Amino acid sequence: MALIELKDISKTYNTTAVPVNALKDINITFEKQEFTAIVGPSGSGKTTMLNILGGLDKPTNGTVIIDNNDITKMKPGNLVDFRLNKIGFVFQAYNLIPVLTALENVEFIMLLQKVSKKERREQAENLLQDVGLGDRMDNRPSQLSGGQQQRVAVARALASKPAFVLADEPTANLDSKSAESLLDMMEEMNKKHNMTFIFSTHDARVIKRARRVVTLEDGMVKEDKINK
Amino acid sequence: MLTQLAWKNIWRNKKRSLVIILAIMLGLWGGLFSGAIMMGMAESMVDSAIDRYLGHVEIHSKKFKDDVQITNYIKDVKAVENAINAQDSIAGYSKRTILEGMAASAASSFGVKIVGIDRVAEKSVSRLYQKIVDGDYFDTQKRNQVIIGKKLADRLNLKLRSKIILTFQDVHGEIIYLACRITGIFKTESSVFDETNVFLRQVDLMRSLHQTETLIHEIAIRVKSAKYVPVVEQNLASALPGLAVETWEKMAPELAFVSSSMEAFTYLFVAIILFALLFGITNNMLMSVVERIRELGILTAVGMKKSRVFFMILLETIFLSMTGGILGMTVGGFFIGFFNSAGIDLSAFATGLESFGSASMLYPFLPASMYIGLTIMILFAANIAALLPAWKATHLTPAEAIRTY
Repeated sequence: MALIELKDISKTYNTTAVPVNALKDINITFEKQEFTAIVGPSGSGKTTMLNILGGLDKPTNGTVIIDNNDITKMKPGNLVDFRLNKIGFVFQAYNLIPVLTALENVEFIMLLQKVSKKERREQAENLLQDVGLGDRMDNRPSQLSGGQQQRVAVARALASKPAFVLADEPTANLDSKSAESLLDMMEEMNKKHNMTFIFSTHDARVIKRARRVVTLEDGMVKEDKINK
Repeated sequence: MLTQLAWKNIWRNKKRSLVIILAIMLGLWGGLFSGAIMMGMAESMVDSAIDRYLGHVEIHSKKFKDDVQITNYIKDVKAVENAINAQDSIAGYSKRTILEGMAASAASSFGVKIVGIDRVAEKSVSRLYQKIVDGDYFDTQKRNQVIIGKKLADRLNLKLRSKIILTFQDVHGEIIYLACRITGIFKTESSVFDETNVFLRQVDLMRSLHQTETLIHEIAIRVKSAKYVPVVEQNLASALPGLAVETWEKMAPELAFVSSSMEAFTYLFVAIILFALLFGITNNMLMSVVERIRELGILTAVGMKKSRVFFMILLETIFLSMTGGILGMTVGGFFIGFFNSAGIDLSAFATGLESFGSASMLYPFLPASMYIGLTIMILFAANIAALLPAWKATHLTPAEAIRTY
């Protein structure tokens, strides 16, 4: 049974005078432990697909099954809980809470899950150690480099023990050294924690490192290949 | 951590938060201090009225209340005295003879209340003896001495040791003329009182009325502390069912109204200030939410429920408002405390204040219960101010917030 299954997904935006068909009849599945890149030119539907996968947007047609749950039929309140417990998010611009330290940012997700203070502190410290920021726990985002912030974002995404992590162009704002280092770390997490990573990217370095590459064009899957 | 986050969030834009905190602080400080002055004025009016003449409790015959006639005196004074002496909390009482009459000089005449007193007993109730500005308070035993107010003296063009003619009726309705010598002139906080009251020794008044028995129309009582007033009134009213036993609040309802309404006015005053500040707080919080739309969208995306987002914005508004509120109350409390002991000299406006019966030296005060009431009001205002920003924060579509901002 696939971890994620998209059935006949289409998404049309009616916000402009001319409706925009962002996704057209997408049928695709993702298995556990995948390390998959969704690629394609701007406007190809990568972010829309990621939003639909993450339950942040509803498809116009079709169903999204995650861990045997049809999230397209979920009530908004249940969907928030589902996202909290099943999906980890990493955003292009890191988007950490600026007034909290790295440790508090990672802990915050577990606070929402009502994990006890002791447990969440312990878990957050372990995760930050894992992403190589054991000595930066008490720093605020403004005191960290872009690469370090993105590592905190990955640790935050993993803190809720999700079924998979969605990353929207995670290396877009990073220099090549930081990008490589982040990818190493994500790969390690993928192997160490058996964590599924699905990321949208333009970055050739990321595409090269992905084990599966799904190419979108004009809202349709143009190619779905396994990297050798 | 949500509380901690809310507190940290208000300091993201220090300058903006400080401006609104300062506005709340100044608004509250001004409101509280004005309220304390009003309450101090009301307190001064009540205290000076009690000290000047009223006392805490007064006893009259029931008829006297309706018709101030010489014949409506208290028939069994001894029984009243026994009832008073049975109370533990009495500081003193004075038996007074009250006559309506005219005071005349060579220049003019004016309608007055003629009050016959026993010098020693009266000192235990009223503080009129402290208000003598010229002459003395029946210090000699000379016959037909009278003490009048400064305002009446000016009106009738009289001075100390001038002669004054008092005209009043005896028990048979006959007109009595009594020539008196002014031996004391008093000046109280109330120009109306000073103009309409003259004081004589009871013995002189009874002699002129050809009365062997002293006619008592009014017994004024001072209790040891204002808190005993209701108990004393209740006890005396049940012991003396045939007489009218009344507290100062019933005798001077206008004063009681001023005293009780000042607190309400202060609340109203602060409520108006808070209402105006409410728009500032709302605007501040709206700006804070708009600046963070992307972040709030992300928080919702990663699993923060709308109710928690709402609560976080509410907490931020409460922290912002309460910081300003506590500062305002502290600074206001400090100022009130300082001027409560030092006093505010408003002698430049003495004439106006005297017409209200208020002293020109004001001692502002605010009861402790008002600080609690104000805290609740600020919390209430903060909740109202948070509604719009919190509504905006909870009506974000995460994907749109992340994409657009």
